[in-house]
Amino acid sequence: MKRHVLVALAAVIAVAGAVVVLWPRSVEAQPHLAESGRLRFVLTPASTRSGVNSFDLRITDRAGNPAQGDEVVVEPAMPQMGHAIAPITAGPSEPGHYRVGDVGLFMAGQWEITVSLSAERVVIPLLLT
Amino acid sequence: MKRSAAILLFTLGAILGITAPALADGDRIGGDVHVAQTLGDRDLTVIIRRVAEVPGPVHVDVVTHAGSPPGELILTARAAGAATSTAKVVLGATPGFYSGVVEVDRPGPWELAVDEATIPFVVPALVSSPWENATYGGFIAAGALLFLALLFAVFGKPGLALVPTAGVIAAIAVGVTAALLSPSIPPVAAPGTQLDPTFGNVNDPYQRTSTVDFSRPPVNLVPTMKGEDLVLSLTDGSSGRPVDDLLVHDSAFVHLVVVSPSGNLRHLHPIRTAPGEYRARLSAAEQGTHAIAAEIARRGGGVQLLRSSVEVPGTATVQANDGKADLATEIREAGRPTTITARFGDRELQPWLGMLGHMIVIGPISGNAVNAPIWAHVHSMIPPTPGMPDRPDESVAAYGPDVPFTYSFPLPGRYLVWIQVERDYTIVTVPTVVDVPAAKGVSGR
Repeated sequence: MKRHVLVALAAVIAVAGAVVVLWPRSVEAQPHLAESGRLRFVLTPASTRSGVNSFDLRITDRAGNPAQGDEVVVEPAMPQMGHAIAPITAGPSEPGHYRVGDVGLFMAGQWEITVSLSAERVVIPLLLT
Repeated sequence: MKRSAAILLFTLGAILGITAPALADGDRIGGDVHVAQTLGDRDLTVIIRRVAEVPGPVHVDVVTHAGSPPGELILTARAAGAATSTAKVVLGATPGFYSGVVEVDRPGPWELAVDEATIPFVVPALVSSPWENATYGGFIAAGALLFLALLFAVFGKPGLALVPTAGVIAAIAVGVTAALLSPSIPPVAAPGTQLDPTFGNVNDPYQRTSTVDFSRPPVNLVPTMKGEDLVLSLTDGSSGRPVDDLLVHDSAFVHLVVVSPSGNLRHLHPIRTAPGEYRARLSAAEQGTHAIAAEIARRGGGVQLLRSSVEVPGTATVQANDGKADLATEIREAGRPTTITARFGDRELQPWLGMLGHMIVIGPISGNAVNAPIWAHVHSMIPPTPGMPDRPDESVAAYGPDVPFTYSFPLPGRYLVWIQVERDYTIVTVPTVVDVPAAKGVSGR
């Protein structure tokens, strides 16, 4: 009986150790914050892997109120390659909240996502694996 | 009982003995950033001192040079989502160091604004490396397991004690391997030198990327005059986007050399006023076509020389560089190393842009500097001196008087040469002309 308990305990410890060592780390998409002169942009990508992606964008003024604007323009580029892809525009789903879908980021590495709303412009670096 | 006590003592001694070696090489956390800035009529060096703790103060020294008017500067430190911190620096009439303190509250990419000039910089995070964690983790685990084995042994379970003992051996193996290999593992690149700095990669510099070649495309330079200011527009040679990733190299973002039609040289350090836009004042400039060349280094490595020319609607008066030095030249034919040594009075030269001296070479001249095939920037290094700091700043006026330069002039002909050093917080520019003979015979090289 005692031996069974010990074996079970050892198995639990071994599994816990394996989980700690092998747990996949930080593939979760983090929100990225950037600020221009008047606005604050928070971009959350749907994925941090290369491929077709989509962005959730929340744009507020520096006081936290939703920004006014008809459409947001997203220009993805890859600085190391010197490679830019066609800009994508999106309208607000609610004030200050934009969903930019179907963004084809087909290469792993660091991208620079330029986001502009009227004259305000920020560049958000985004690392894809 | 006596035996148990002996085992206990022995084990404790072993634990203390093996956990003692502390192998710490992870506390290297950035250094001072020196950036030369041609801000309006002033020639400044802005020194952002190493950030000791975060949140905490950042000491900023502003070094003024001779002829720099007294006045006030506003320093502003800002980062996305962080509180902005400002400080006022009052510049006196005498050239030298003036300081201000701003606050940073998090590691990551920051921007220091000095009036209208903006200097991006990185506040590094103190992160221990994975092999450091493996070393400490291995030894700590070994200690804990050894204690467990000891308990089993003391309570008369020597068979069970074998399990944690095996663990001790494994943990020590991990710790020792990591400790022995860690000196030979290259350190991770400073955040912001290869990839664009973000809060994420500054706080986790050991994040892996699949990128192996970090170099970036060449840059197009378009100079224009706006009033007295020379404005440089830098765009990416592949995507046409503004180039906003310049690294500080040789203590400046851009080393801009401007040569007037009559051969007057200025070595300026344009300020960043917008992404991809740099500007420098050409005060009392001469009228005509000026030859310009900008040295830049983009993130990812590699220095580029961008040459161009600009029409300046200036005045008709001609200014000349009036520095004086005794020059000893040993000129060899084209392709062989020529040595030019400038001697400046006493042993009182200051490092300028991290170097003892700079020599700009333009030639062979046929009419104008704009279409000279060769444009070079030669350095004279600071000799390592016992008792002196490795990278002295401008407050150390103890070098010289001899400033040697060696350069292999690639083509025969007449070259315009300027030698620049700093003395008494004044940049001394000594103009000269060098005639390089053609290589003799076929074995010239």
